[in-house]
Amino acid sequence: MRSLFRYRELIRNLVLKDLKLKYRDSVLGFVWSLANPLLLILVYSFVFGHILRGGPANFAYFLMVGILPWNFFAQSLMMSTGSIVDNGNLIRKVALPMEVFPIATVLFNLAQYLFALTVFFPMALLFFKVSPSWSWIAFLPLLALHVFFTLGVCLIVSTATVFYRDVRHFTEILLALLFWLTPIIYDTETVSRSLRTVLYLNPFSYFILAYQDVLYHNIFSAFDRVITLTLLTLLSLFSGYTLFAVCKIRFSEEA
Amino acid sequence: MAEAQIINVSKAFTIRHNKVDSLKSKVIGFFYNRYREQKETLWALKDVSLNISPGETFGLVGRNGSGKSTLLKVIAGIYLPTRGEVQLPDGARIGTMIELGVGFHPELTGKENIFLGASIHGLTRKETQNIYEAVVEFSELSGFMDTPVKNYSSGMHARLGFALAAQLSPDVLLVDEVLAVGDEAFQQKCMKRIDKFRSEGKTIIFVSHSAQDVKNICDRACVLDHGHLMFLGKPAEAIERYHQLLAQQPAVPT
Repeated sequence: MRSLFRYRELIRNLVLKDLKLKYRDSVLGFVWSLANPLLLILVYSFVFGHILRGGPANFAYFLMVGILPWNFFAQSLMMSTGSIVDNGNLIRKVALPMEVFPIATVLFNLAQYLFALTVFFPMALLFFKVSPSWSWIAFLPLLALHVFFTLGVCLIVSTATVFYRDVRHFTEILLALLFWLTPIIYDTETVSRSLRTVLYLNPFSYFILAYQDVLYHNIFSAFDRVITLTLLTLLSLFSGYTLFAVCKIRFSEEA
Repeated sequence: MAEAQIINVSKAFTIRHNKVDSLKSKVIGFFYNRYREQKETLWALKDVSLNISPGETFGLVGRNGSGKSTLLKVIAGIYLPTRGEVQLPDGARIGTMIELGVGFHPELTGKENIFLGASIHGLTRKETQNIYEAVVEFSELSGFMDTPVKNYSSGMHARLGFALAAQLSPDVLLVDEVLAVGDEAFQQKCMKRIDKFRSEGKTIIFVSHSAQDVKNICDRACVLDHGHLMFLGKPAEAIERYHQLLAQQPAVPT
């Protein structure tokens, strides 16, 4: 832990490097990172809201509340498959705390997530007739839990990819499946009871439900949901950190 | 400062034939025997013990595959020894020159890479700012700090890498054959810098194939062969033993 603090500058530089590389040569740089969520929101709100004539009220805003945090989670996971493997050359030649790589991956995606929020939220206030509510302050602790939960899963994924390279493909497929098993583009209320059980088996559903509580329904999440989220986060961090700590000494030989 | 101790260090690598590195092949191997992975153990180091005194310049000599680089990486903490242990002086900063410019990103400029590279070795931003001018000056690349490193020649790349490594000022410096790159002038400059490290009283562990360099700068040297410590003593004798080995048999066992 202490050595991680010593290497905070490296974490910062790794995040900056990824941001620079992504946006350096394109004038419209940051706009590109908004294109994907914007397109998803437009397509889903058109297909489900207009063609299928379903979806909750103020559907575009509902989608936004779910898709932005989902993108942060999914993109962090996809990128973390390369956190260790793609830095193999470095890991074989310099001794450093290797936790910096998955941490930098999560922080890079967090930066993109926050950027998307600062663009989409003012838009929502302007166009979707959304009005701010006191419950929005719960967004910050929720975000903190979400970030640490994501970091735990990323530690697991980055470790697993070192030993089994096709975890990358596996993660991609799992995320595609998980997207539909998370109440992002539909309301849990409209789902049959048996199907709802499946949703509740997906840990990520609780995070999206909490985002919807706080930002869409404008209520504070119920106490039991807060407990669930806290436990999930602790479990994810604990198992991710333990697995990483046990396996990391082999990274320089296997990555 | 206490000495660096390498105590009965052995390092085994698992050589995998038919390497299973995907979940898919793991599942297939479960059903079909012939796809299963075959493992073989290769001992890169066997019972190596060395004591290196503070301020000493120590040479590691041996043929390709003799275990020199592995030993260096075990000392650096990149590999965990399979058996034995390495004890370094408490609180000593370990610097490694295993590859020059390691971690440099081709798309980033020279300046950005200095900051990135320094943080890879654990420097804070303040510490990097303090050495920045010295790095640029040593590299003789002040006109290229805003140029992406991908446009550098390999010599410029090595110069920037060495210039950075030379300013990190560790207490124990591990050098692996990195000076073979670049032209003669550059090599001389590097050797001069290493000499300066010596006069500053740093401990240096030095892997080299150059008989001249080992004789010139090392206080002691050892010869490794197939992971065994064959000789430990005066650099000139070490070089002699090494040359005997080279004459004796093919370099890489077949």
